[in-house]
Amino acid sequence: MRCWERPLIEIIRLSVNGDSHEIGVPSHYTLLETLRYVLGLTGSKQGCDKGDCGACTVLLDGLPTLSCILPVQEAIGRQVTTIEGLADPDGPHALQDALDLTGGAQCGFCTPGILMSAAALLNVNSSPTRQEIREALSGNLCRCTGYTKIYEAVELAARALREQRPPAEVLRS
Amino acid sequence: MKYYLEWPEPDPTNLPPPAQDIEPWGETRVVGKPLPRVDAYERVSGTALYTLDMALPDMLHGAILRCPHAHARVTRLDTGRAQAMPGVRAVITAATPGAAIPWYFRGQGPTSMLFDEHCRYAGDEVAAVAAETPHQAILAARAIDVEYEVLPFVQDDAVALTPEAPAIHEGGNILGQETSGRGDVEAGFAGADVVLEQTYHTPCEIHTPMETFVTIARWDGNRLTVWDSNQGVFGIQANLARALRLPLTSVRVICNYMGGGFGSKLGLSKYTVIAALLARTTARPVKIALTREESFICVGNRAANTIKLKAGVKRDGTLTALDAVFLGSGGAYPAGATSTYLVQALYLCPNVRVEDNEVYTNAGPSRAFRAPGMPNCAWALEQMMDALATEIDMDPVEFRLKNIATFLQINDTPYTSIGLRECLSDGAKAFGWSEARARPRGRGHVRRGVGMAAGMWAYPGDPRATVIVKLFADGSVNLNMGASDIGTGTKTVMAMVVAEELGVPLDRIQIEHADTGTTQNAPSSGGSQTVLVSAPAVRAAAIEVKRQLLELAAAQLERPVEQLVFQDGEIMPADAPDQAVALADLRGLRGRQVIVGVGRRHPHPEGKIALPFAAQFAEVEVNILTGEVRVLRLVAAHDSGRVMNKLTYENQVFGGMAMGIGLGLTEERILDSRQTGKVVNANWHDYKIPTAKDVPIDQTCVPIDPHDTECNTTGAKGLGEPAHIPTAAAIANAVYHATGVRVTDAPITRGRMLSALAERRGE
Amino acid sequence: MLPNFTYERPGSVDEALEHGSSEGAVLHAGGTDLLGCLRDGVFSAKKVVSLSGLEELRGISPTRDGGLRVGALTTLTGVASDPTIAERYTVLAQAAASAASPQLRNQGTIGGNICQRPRCWYFRGDWHCLRKGGDTCYAIAGENHFHCIFGGSGCYIVHPSDTAPALQALGASVRIASRSGSRTVPIESFFLLPADDIQRENLLEPGELVTEVLLPPVASGTRSVYRKVRDRGAWDFALAGLAAVVTMPGDSVETASLVLSGVAPKPWRAAEAEGALTGARLDAETIARVVAASVAGALPLEHNGYKVALVRGLMEETLRALA
Repeated sequence: MRCWERPLIEIIRLSVNGDSHEIGVPSHYTLLETLRYVLGLTGSKQGCDKGDCGACTVLLDGLPTLSCILPVQEAIGRQVTTIEGLADPDGPHALQDALDLTGGAQCGFCTPGILMSAAALLNVNSSPTRQEIREALSGNLCRCTGYTKIYEAVELAARALREQRPPAEVLRS
Repeated sequence: MKYYLEWPEPDPTNLPPPAQDIEPWGETRVVGKPLPRVDAYERVSGTALYTLDMALPDMLHGAILRCPHAHARVTRLDTGRAQAMPGVRAVITAATPGAAIPWYFRGQGPTSMLFDEHCRYAGDEVAAVAAETPHQAILAARAIDVEYEVLPFVQDDAVALTPEAPAIHEGGNILGQETSGRGDVEAGFAGADVVLEQTYHTPCEIHTPMETFVTIARWDGNRLTVWDSNQGVFGIQANLARALRLPLTSVRVICNYMGGGFGSKLGLSKYTVIAALLARTTARPVKIALTREESFICVGNRAANTIKLKAGVKRDGTLTALDAVFLGSGGAYPAGATSTYLVQALYLCPNVRVEDNEVYTNAGPSRAFRAPGMPNCAWALEQMMDALATEIDMDPVEFRLKNIATFLQINDTPYTSIGLRECLSDGAKAFGWSEARARPRGRGHVRRGVGMAAGMWAYPGDPRATVIVKLFADGSVNLNMGASDIGTGTKTVMAMVVAEELGVPLDRIQIEHADTGTTQNAPSSGGSQTVLVSAPAVRAAAIEVKRQLLELAAAQLERPVEQLVFQDGEIMPADAPDQAVALADLRGLRGRQVIVGVGRRHPHPEGKIALPFAAQFAEVEVNILTGEVRVLRLVAAHDSGRVMNKLTYENQVFGGMAMGIGLGLTEERILDSRQTGKVVNANWHDYKIPTAKDVPIDQTCVPIDPHDTECNTTGAKGLGEPAHIPTAAAIANAVYHATGVRVTDAPITRGRMLSALAERRGE
Repeated sequence: MLPNFTYERPGSVDEALEHGSSEGAVLHAGGTDLLGCLRDGVFSAKKVVSLSGLEELRGISPTRDGGLRVGALTTLTGVASDPTIAERYTVLAQAAASAASPQLRNQGTIGGNICQRPRCWYFRGDWHCLRKGGDTCYAIAGENHFHCIFGGSGCYIVHPSDTAPALQALGASVRIASRSGSRTVPIESFFLLPADDIQRENLLEPGELVTEVLLPPVASGTRSVYRKVRDRGAWDFALAGLAAVVTMPGDSVETASLVLSGVAPKPWRAAEAEGALTGARLDAETIARVVAASVAGALPLEHNGYKVALVRGLMEETLRALA
């Protein structure tokens, strides 16, 4: 942010992927702009800037949320999880491995948003049907894959999590 | 009309013969396996850096002022107010020194200027701004005062053909009228038992890839570096160098991760040149990212087509004549609108006439869009084939099987292989075609039906790729290739080719690609040519590395090269495997530290052409009370030659079909043609690309591999385009089967379905 | 990319009303519609007043009369997944679940959903249309595929809400607060037609705020359903939809409430169809009469004639399912 933009800068505290940040943001910034251009977390993608595509999906207190239409102030005091926070220190989330294994990421630009929606689904539903997966992903546009391999990935990850085995092992069995 | 993938249009006839004699592969050990992408983790972890994610120190942001009128002349332009806005560092217009740049479409002479005072569609570039923030740039662009002389405009293709229509270019609006064909169509119709005639219409579709159109330009002295989301860095480089009058060596174009293109990012766009000009003016890097709305307006589309098709057939299923009149508009510039190819080539037919009309209209210029012109042509031809089959009471699959062309009838060239028969028969089997067709269609308000369509793709590729493979002292490899990976899996497939030849595991292959400064010339990733052009070059480079390694091993083992074999990353005498030497233990390699192999793609086989074929099958459900059409399942059988990687192969097929569902059911650009001429649905809410709930749960991919040993040294033919060509037509045929109603205008929206049903009821 | 404005997040309704009545202030509930409008310049704001701190506007609770109070800030996900609503007010749960996308339902609120601005592409785009204070409705001579077949005059928008017709079919009311007090208005009279006011879709005055939605008790044996038809399988507004609430203690229909979405500038009560249905046996003959009555008075524009057939189809399918 440069001094000559002269916006009304507010100092806010934001919790992203478990880290607490004290940052200055222009009062009109969205959460997405803050993540990408203040915190440098570019994993959440900017597709349409008005809630039409789902590429910017993050979890807000665990719920899939479009960060491009969320004023950053609305995220104060809440837990923001982005794609950068999906893996834990021990390794990738089962969904990430599963998506690699099924080939569910093509150009990859919608992928972070899709993974966040899918992760939220698996948090509340450990064995979703394909209809439930479709419903959960119906707010994430993908122009490349035709979605099929994404469904397969969610199913594989769900099974891996249920069986507490790596997705690669589940796939082999 | 012909689409050009890029300029300068390369000359595939002027390639030297192959440097090595490379045998076709037999069984492969790595190639063909369903291996995850080599960059899979980057793609799923958010660490893959797209051009849109990049920022350079001290970077400015650009915005473009576009003409708000469908047809106008700029009569006065005042940048004073904009210049004075906060954060503004430069405002450029047609009058800016260096900005008088002629603009080319389709390789022909210039048809306009970078900033043209004659604005031919609502979206033409008028001026541009660089400012400290994107917001300031947009506000300043809006503050440029422009007076326009508003001119009458025309957007209806048929009206544009008339002499009264306002002229969009000097010389009128008719861009091309060509008639071609063979035989005698009148005689063909006279000899037919059944003759049908129908007019079909397909909509203008927008590519709208997920990553918007974005470029970052930076000058170092006279040298320009551009990070740009595109499908082929060398085409962008060549055009950019021409626009800026720079030698190729002074323009470096880089594109690593990119978020989709589908043809819209094949060519150079004005925003890239504008970013370069703004960066030069301000002596700072400049980023221009088009808004999502701009992505719908000014960076290409699939032209709407009107296709009048007349066909004759004998009762035994022999096609006797095809006569088609095409009308389309690539918009305000010569950008390509139609393809008559399928009518001329897909089925054996002695008498064919095609008339192709392309006109200018005051609308955004088209660009090659996944199989340009072909799904539109399939929409007409494949519905006509279905109607003919019904008329002669023959199964549509059987009817097509009877009319397979065994050579390319356009120029009497034999195919290197043709798997269309297997696509039709194996696809039908996988789908359960006969059983599904015989099932009751339902008596209530929800009817079921099945349909199918076939297709082929027309472009054998531009075989000009040069690739370098470097093997390092520890046996790990660097693959250096110019090809782009636009999401299709290019990097992965090419690394698998290296692994196949050199026995190096994928995780020991590092890839540099799509950078004109550090990689070698390769054609753009478009026209389904990337694998079939670059993979043979990669293979040649790896084999050259292997040749050099064998020489080093021969010296070390004191054996002639002919006695050595290369296996699993080791070299050994064929008769003494115990003397195997690991690559890292080759003394000659340790001395040099690197082996460099250069590989070139061989020319196309002489006198033959390699093209892919397809047949797709759809089952749909139609609610005749509400007009809702639901695709229940899809089966795609494709002869694209060898399957290089089953995962990326299937993904291309499923993705191509999803786009076909868009064409068949939901996608359509709508212009405010009678009032302002602007696009009314320039966003993802009003322009409806399929969601997860529009794509069937049940999708199957049936690869057909005819083991083509002539097409190239990998046996792979193209896949991206053919995957998209038949889908919409197959859905339309299924809708007909379910309801008895033929919807000839795409997409089959709820409204069109209801109107067609009402028309049949005589309402 | 959003224009500059100040952002207030008041902690009480009074404070919110105070901020909300200042010049250029707009209220922000879920923001799913507001932020897009601000970005696209449909209207502008000097001050955005966030309601998200107003805990008292959240949640679903029983009322003393046996009905239900739904706080205006309850998200659509909250409405759709509430067991009481799903069981007793099925039409509302289905309508809420059919709106937008999962993320937007997590963010969008019931109050915001009924107060959202129209989706007419001329209104949303850079056309200075009647509703934005201009002098032309571009839909009349233009691309009117998605416009209204009932209730248009001067302006031909459709009301985009799915939940509003469901609420109207249920006979719900909204509670409106302002600095001068609060009032309760039946949903039936909350919405305005262009003939009432060409620039507003409801009777909220500047500085007023919907605080809650009140659902009356439902008679036992009430059956309700929301059926929506859209061009895309998800994430799309209704081409037409039907919210039907019917009581049928025996063989014949005792009460019927049939409200259409996507066909008029406000949720559209198919009054003649209700009349034809009430007191009748739900047989083929009745259905035919109701279907015919459901489109009485429809005046399609050039490109939206299919909506007449669609309303008939929706009515027929829904009644057959209830029979």
